Order: sequence, then structure tokens, then C-alpha cells
Amino acid sequence: MTRTGAWVSAVIVAAAVVLPGLLIAVTGGSPAAALRALIQGSLGDATAVSQTLLYAAPLLLVAVGACCSARSGAFNIGQEGQVLIGALAGAAAGLRLAVPGPALLVVVLLAAALAAGAWAWLSALMNRLRGVDIAVSTLLMTFLAQQVVAFAVTTPWLLQESRLGAAAALPQSNKLPSRALLGSLGDHPGLQLNLGLAVGIVVAVLVAVALDRTRWGFRLTMAGLNPAAARHAGISVTAVGGIALTVSGALAGLAGAVLLTSPLSTNRLQPDISINIGWDGLLVALVARNRPLLAIPIAGLFAVLRAGGNFLAATGVPPYLVDVVKALLTLAFVAPAVLRRRSVIA
Amino acid sequence: MAPEPALRLRGITKRYGAVVACDGVDLTLERGEIHGLLGENGAGKSTLMRILLGLETQDSGAIDRDGRAVTITGPRQAAALGISMVHQHFSLVDPLAVWENVALGQSGPVRRAAVRAGVRAAAERYGLAIDPDARVGSLSAGERQRVELLKCLRRDPAVLIMDEPTSVLTRAESAELFAVLRRVVAAEHRAVVLISHKLAEITTATDRVTVIRAGRVVLRRATAATTEAELAREMVGREVTLGAAVGVLPHAPAPAAPASSQAALRLRGLTTRPGLDDLCLTVHAGEIVGLYGAEGNGQKSLGDVLSGLTVPDAGTVEVAGAPVDLRRPGALSAAGLGIVPEDRHHAGVVLDLSVAENLVMTRLGDVSGRVFVDRRRLRRRARALADEYGITAPSLDSPLRTLSGGNQQRVVLARELSGRPRVLVAAQPSRGLDVGAVEDLYARLRRCASDGIAVLVISTELEEILALTTRVATIFRGRIVGELPTAQADAERLGLLTGGAA
Repeated sequence: MTRTGAWVSAVIVAAAVVLPGLLIAVTGGSPAAALRALIQGSLGDATAVSQTLLYAAPLLLVAVGACCSARSGAFNIGQEGQVLIGALAGAAAGLRLAVPGPALLVVVLLAAALAAGAWAWLSALMNRLRGVDIAVSTLLMTFLAQQVVAFAVTTPWLLQESRLGAAAALPQSNKLPSRALLGSLGDHPGLQLNLGLAVGIVVAVLVAVALDRTRWGFRLTMAGLNPAAARHAGISVTAVGGIALTVSGALAGLAGAVLLTSPLSTNRLQPDISINIGWDGLLVALVARNRPLLAIPIAGLFAVLRAGGNFLAATGVPPYLVDVVKALLTLAFVAPAVLRRRSVIA
Repeated sequence: MAPEPALRLRGITKRYGAVVACDGVDLTLERGEIHGLLGENGAGKSTLMRILLGLETQDSGAIDRDGRAVTITGPRQAAALGISMVHQHFSLVDPLAVWENVALGQSGPVRRAAVRAGVRAAAERYGLAIDPDARVGSLSAGERQRVELLKCLRRDPAVLIMDEPTSVLTRAESAELFAVLRRVVAAEHRAVVLISHKLAEITTATDRVTVIRAGRVVLRRATAATTEAELAREMVGREVTLGAAVGVLPHAPAPAAPASSQAALRLRGLTTRPGLDDLCLTVHAGEIVGLYGAEGNGQKSLGDVLSGLTVPDAGTVEVAGAPVDLRRPGALSAAGLGIVPEDRHHAGVVLDLSVAENLVMTRLGDVSGRVFVDRRRLRRRARALADEYGITAPSLDSPLRTLSGGNQQRVVLARELSGRPRVLVAAQPSRGLDVGAVEDLYARLRRCASDGIAVLVISTELEEILALTTRVATIFRGRIVGELPTAQADAERLGLLTGGAA
């Protein structure tokens, strides 16, 4: 069965490489040139690597959170909205709170995690009170989050930028003060090691240890695998699921704050600040089979596709081809697991 | 010229690595016979059937269907060859109606009226009373079994494999099922393979019997020419001392020292809707009390309450004189009540966790500090329990899923007893176990009682009740309707007490 799985994976990975190449060739481009561009844009030089690492950080944070919730059985698929809420709360804290020095950055990150955690917890609450399906409510809350952020950045007394002279105010917030921004680690010519990635890796390791080594993680895993047995063993499945969901929301919120305070954004809250990191992070967790440490390299791979894809788009290749590659790669890793589950039933 | 057998297996061999699951198995199925297939868990029955259904491919050996050599490459082809199986675990969809379940998996357009008429016609022909519009979720185990059988028969199979079909049925339901199978083979010339652990069933319901042990056929005979004792011996490979399994009604064990006046378990007015109706029962330390009744009279609800899965609408559970707060998860376990639930896969174990983790999961605190689980302590404890309870596993780190039914059962028992409970509840404990495992289980339950644990055995098997218990209470429609010492109990009296008939 695993052999079949590996075989299926290999075929789909091959398809992920060959199919976009064919598409490029059909549309009159050169597949080899496109591949070169993809690599050039993600790993080609120090600047490209910096960009890739920048993307990896929020992807990883979202993915690690998704690992938590998926393992507990409370499937959170609303990360995109939680990223937005995190960015919103981070921007509000960074622009409104008078915290001195770099402590402001810490406050921004915490505010984002708390707000998005609370946002996700609402889904746990609805599930507990009315039995609302968690996957459905987290997903729908994403659209609500988009509206909330759009409202905040178009409403002058909320977070819309201050008007300068006669220029019309854009739907975005003011720029965060520079002391609230994530800096770079060390001093390397051309290469930026943004602090965001360090945050992501530390969180991934902490969560991996928590899931695999602590009583909390054991309970969470058990609740996810067999709720009835977990209840019998003294575990409140709804409570464990609620906590996992909150943690996963908080980490997505943290990803939102990283987006807001790193060079990935203009350091202003904008309606499209989440740039699909929530969705992609979910895919990272899926491919990593809910293992936080495995999510580190997978987040790197998805970051390569993102950074390289942007560069590729600049060379005239349609950017959706990168999405096709991403989708096929995800399928390649997820399909065998699904096949395995089916064969168990049969 | 004699007609070719419906199915002939010759020298079927299947290896998994170093393990030989089937070792040159020959099996001939004639049309119009019910053929019993007997063997312990892990003897190779399942592998053989998986080969027949195309889920596995044999390493060597040949299969003839009606005298023609065939290779079975997959389930669809097995179906095309007329080989069909009713699985031990039902594969029905609860929220759907009976006719919808029957139509599932059939290709082509589904015509409601036609399917319903088909279900009615088949139900009439085979005497399988079933309402095509009933929701499967609301059916009893016996009725579900009928739906499964109908599903199979609609495909008009020449060879029908029944995998432990009676494990969830009452005696009356079992008898009905066998009557139906008899009609199926006699009137329609189908061949039936009946896999069962229950020797009494094999001897009453089959025409011929094949016993497999460790992958080899050790006995092949007309059923009339053998005895339950012989079958049990051949299956296990030694004499077995389990009264009930060989059909000898044993003497009830001498009542343990008149149970202490202290009730270890007291159920007062337990009511769940549906399920239990003001159920009251007391079990004293050191006695084994049987709760006997036909399936579907509230046993499952009681099991769910005692597993902490449902909170009763009314009533209390007292362990050692103190009422238990049933709303708190794990409260029963903490209060000293261990349970081996009826459906182990549902509430007893986590199939994807390791054997070791399953052994400690209710007492995680014992193997961890404030925050971290101590893997070394966990393994040490699991190893000790596995040794004590004779659990054979490839490794304590392998997923529980890889263990045989008997060993999974032992894992649950070991874990529940590791907390030194005052009360042990065992629901349908021998279901799905082979004779050897049942023998071991009974010995352990008896030892529990002599160690002063109050044991409650919930069972639909009369032999089990008579072999094991000192006192028996009968349950009917969620109420206790009778109680008497097992020494005064016999099939007839208990039958009357369980509401006459199933």
C-alpha cells in the first residue's frame, strides 16, 4: 500500500513538473527558461533567498497552528481570516498604543495572536453552544474578517490613514513606526535574515515538543483520533478542541503580524495584506501531515514557489502556472494518504 | 457426472515476510452446502477470505470456480465471479433508509420503486422481515444484519461468505439467520462459508467443517461426524477447559465468600431516552454478576453510561458508596470503575496510537511529570502490563491497529485493571474472540472477583452467563426484570425472565 502511495506521489510530482512545462511550451514560452527564472527568483542570489525566507515565516506559523487544530480533530480552515484579524489587531496596537522602544513590536505580535486566537475561539464557542461545524464556521468567518478589515481601513475614525493635505486617503492604515517592525538578524551583505523566520522556527519547535512530549499534546492527539475513547480517559474533547483551535488561530494571527511588520508588506494594514498566506499555510500543514517540524522544510518549498513565482511572472509567464504547480505538489503529497484511508475502508 | 464444486482452493499459500498466514490450504465448497470455517484469531481465515475477495493475492496455489481456473484480481472481479461477503463489522450508512443502503454500490441509475420492491420481494422470499423505508440508524443489530445479507443476496452470489455473522445477534436472531441461510443453500443452490468462533453454531448450522490452525488445515470433515470438543481441540491445538465453549454446561463457580455487605457498584434509577428505564442494580465486591438479555434492551446504553459517553437523564451511579458526577469526563475511571466496552474500537482503544500509549492512556498522570510525558516510564509500565497480561505485539510502539482482536481485548483489560479498580464492567467480553482467548479472559475475570473486585458481565450469551457468573440479572426494555443466583438459572427460566422471546 505504501508502495502504491509512493508511486502515486511520484507520478503526481512528475506531473507537477511536466504539466506546467507543457503549458508554457504551448503558450509559446520556453520551459527551461521558466524553470531557470523560478530558481533565479527564489534561490538565485542573496536578495532572492532573502525574499524566500521572508515568505517562509508566515507560511510556517500558519502551518504549525493548522497542525495543532487538525490533530485535535477541530479542523480550522479559516486561517486566511485569522491572519487578517491578526494584522488588524497588530496595526491597531502598533498605531494606537504608546509603548516605548522595541517593546512595541512585542505588543504588536501579542495583540495579533490574542485577537486572532479569540476570533478562532468564537468558532469553538459556536460549536459548543449550538453544535456548529467548526470547519464551516471558521471558513465563513474568513469572509467576515475580510469585511471587518475593509471597514477598518476605510473608516477615518478607525484605522484609515490620516489625510495629508489635499490627497485623498487610501483604504489603508498609517505606516507602523519603525520600532514596531521586525528587523534582520546579523549583518550580511545583501542577505536579510528577518526575525520573523526565527519566530516561526522557535514556535514550530515549541509546538512540536508540546504535541509529542507533553500530556497536553497526548490528550489533544487522542481527542483527535478517537473522541469517545478520549472522553472515557477523562479528556474533555470539546475543551481540548477549543484550545487547539484557539492556538491555531493565535498562530495564524501571529503570521498576520509578521506580514504587517516585515518587508513583505508596506507595513500598513491593507485589505489584501494576507496575500493568501492563510490558504497556503493550510496546504503546508496538509503536505507536512500535521507534523510541525516537517512543516519547516515544506514551508520553505512553498516559499520558493512563491518568491520564484513572482519573479517568473515578471518574465511574462502567466502567474497562475505557479498556482498549478502548487496545487499539483499538494496533491502529490496528500493523494496517497487519501488513497490509503480509502483502502482501509474497503 | 458430479457437478463441479462452486469453489475449489488448492494449495493456497500466502506469506507476509517471515509469517506464513496460509500454508497450502485446500478447501472445496460444494453448491448447496453451508461450510463452517473455524480457526483462532490469526489462524489464517481472514487472509484466505481476503484472497477470495481479491483483496490479497496468493503467493501460490490455484482457485477454481465451477471447475474453471480463475485469478481474482480485485473486489469487483470477485463480485463478478459471484463471490460475496457479509462482513463482521457492518458497513451500513446509518442516516440512510434500508432501501438506499441496499442500492448503494450498485451501478447504473437507482430507481427507488424498483429497489424497494426488490427489497420487499427478497425479504419475503428469504423470510427476512424488514421495512425498506426504515432508517438504518434506528434498527437493531439483528435487523442490520438482515440488511447486510439482503445487500449481498441482491448481487445473486454463488458463494456467500459470512464472517462471524452472529457475534451481535441474540439466539433467536441467530436461529432465524441460519434458517434463512438454509433456505438460501437448499432452494437456490448457493454455497455459504460460515466463519464463526461459536462451536455450537458450527455444529448445528453447517454441513461440513474445516478447521485451520496456524495457516494449515488440521481437520476437514462432515459436521455430523465430529463433536464440539474435537473441534475446540483441533482449533486450539490442545485440550481446552472452557466449559461453555465446548457446550458442556459448567457448574457455576461456588459463590465467593458471601459478598461483603458494602455494594461496590450501585446503579439507581438509571434512565436514558432511549435505552434505560429506571434501571437499578447492585454489585458487591468479589462477585460476578451477569446482566443477561436479548440485544437491544438497553445494554448498549448502559455500557455508554458506564463508559462515561452519555450522561443519563436521571439516576445515579455509585462506586463504593459515593455517587459519581457523570458529567465530568473520566469521573468513573477516577472513582474506580474499569470497563471493557462492547465496541472496543469505539471507546476502548485508539487504533492509531501505539500499544504502549493505549495501555497507559487512562492513567497518563502515572507516567508523566507536571507537563511532560516520561517516555521511559511509559514504556516500562506498558512492558510490565504487556507481560502480566500476555499481550503479544510485534512491538509496543506499533499502532494498536496491528494487534489481533484477542490482544486488543487484553490491552483494554490490562489498562482498566492497572488502575486497581473496585468495579470491572465487561460488556460482551468474548465477542469476536476465539476459544483460547475466551478461556484466558474468563480466568482473568474470575481472578478479579477473587481479588475482591466487583465484576459485572453484560452479555447476550447464555453460556457465558452460566459459565462465569454467580448471580444473574435479566434486562428487558431498559429495566431489570429478574434476578436470581446463577445456580438456579437455566435457559428456560432466563428465557422467561427476558421477556419470553427476543
